[in-house]
Amino acid sequence: MNRKLKQALSDAFYAPSPVRKAAFLKQHRRRELDRWELIALQVRYIQWWVWLLSLVLTGFILVSVTWTEEPATWCIAALTPFLALLVITENGRAQLYQMEELELACRMSRQSVILARMVALGVFHLIQFGLLTPLLVAWGKVETIQAGVYLLTPYLLTAALGLELNRRIRNREGLLACGAAAAAISVLGALVENSRPALYQPENLIWWGMALAVAIVAVAIEFTLNIKKMGELQWT
Amino acid sequence: MALDIEEHYEKIYRYCFYRLHDQELAEDVTQETFLRWFASDTYRNQGQLLQYLYTVARNLCADEFRRPASQPIPEDIPSEEADPLLSIALRTELDKLNGEDRELVMLRYINEVPMGVLCKLYGQSRFSLYRRIKHILKVLGDALE
Repeated sequence: MNRKLKQALSDAFYAPSPVRKAAFLKQHRRRELDRWELIALQVRYIQWWVWLLSLVLTGFILVSVTWTEEPATWCIAALTPFLALLVITENGRAQLYQMEELELACRMSRQSVILARMVALGVFHLIQFGLLTPLLVAWGKVETIQAGVYLLTPYLLTAALGLELNRRIRNREGLLACGAAAAAISVLGALVENSRPALYQPENLIWWGMALAVAIVAVAIEFTLNIKKMGELQWT
Repeated sequence: MALDIEEHYEKIYRYCFYRLHDQELAEDVTQETFLRWFASDTYRNQGQLLQYLYTVARNLCADEFRRPASQPIPEDIPSEEADPLLSIALRTELDKLNGEDRELVMLRYINEVPMGVLCKLYGQSRFSLYRRIKHILKVLGDALE
């Protein structure tokens, strides 16, 4: 649309300025949360043991890699799936206790609440990984990229698989399936160490990189599908 | 998530003024729209607030129409026109459109309501709404040339 026409339209739909706007807005305000306030609020509703277990698992990764005589890099890949499992179970908590309808009835949409909780836990885990990486490099004799890839790949693969299972299988069974998936990815990491130890060598990092790329895409797709599915749940 | 209430107050007010042609009444209806939202227990934050506000405003304006007429509709609206001839010609062409098309132009180009919200307000698909707007603009453009 050209500017002249737009200006003419603006003139045609002219409205005098409202005179009571300032007084009204001063008197009446609806408290709206911005997205960071919502995340900060939702942090309080994440159970304390989720934070504690996250810290314990991260500490365990550090200890298992650095306190062994031989660098046990496979331990990193074997333990991070359980961190992802914490995120999935936290999001499925309403499902587990069959409280979804109640959450849907709340003023804040269920999507934004789940999104806020996932962001909070995800950012917390990323910060943990960020802090863990230099320690693993310094004490665990792994390179920075290696540490980063070993931390993120199983984590994101478990998250993607968990979200998929959670979407397809409802209630407690869904969460049990997520647990089984996390355990399977963890055991796979350990089995690879036994059968194909070369896969943990820096020259084979390309395979890890490819798996990481797939995991990132899968998480993005699953995340979108999960959020969409939440929107489809109707309040009855 | 958070809505710029000051900006949307103006837009809802402009919409009400367009429907009612009465400054006092338009402001009353605007305030009533926002008060209903503030007090609403039924509105859940699903990212559809604009649609909610426009629907409430539209229904309140319709309620006002049903009441006995209190104020006459002003014949001419004062404004600072950039090009008076073009504006007069445009008003003439706008008057030829049906009420819903005129409202659609106003919402889309004056209040800058996103297409997604308009689709829900009018119960039309994005594609058909685009075609409708394009057709209206073509009619207006042709008449002005």
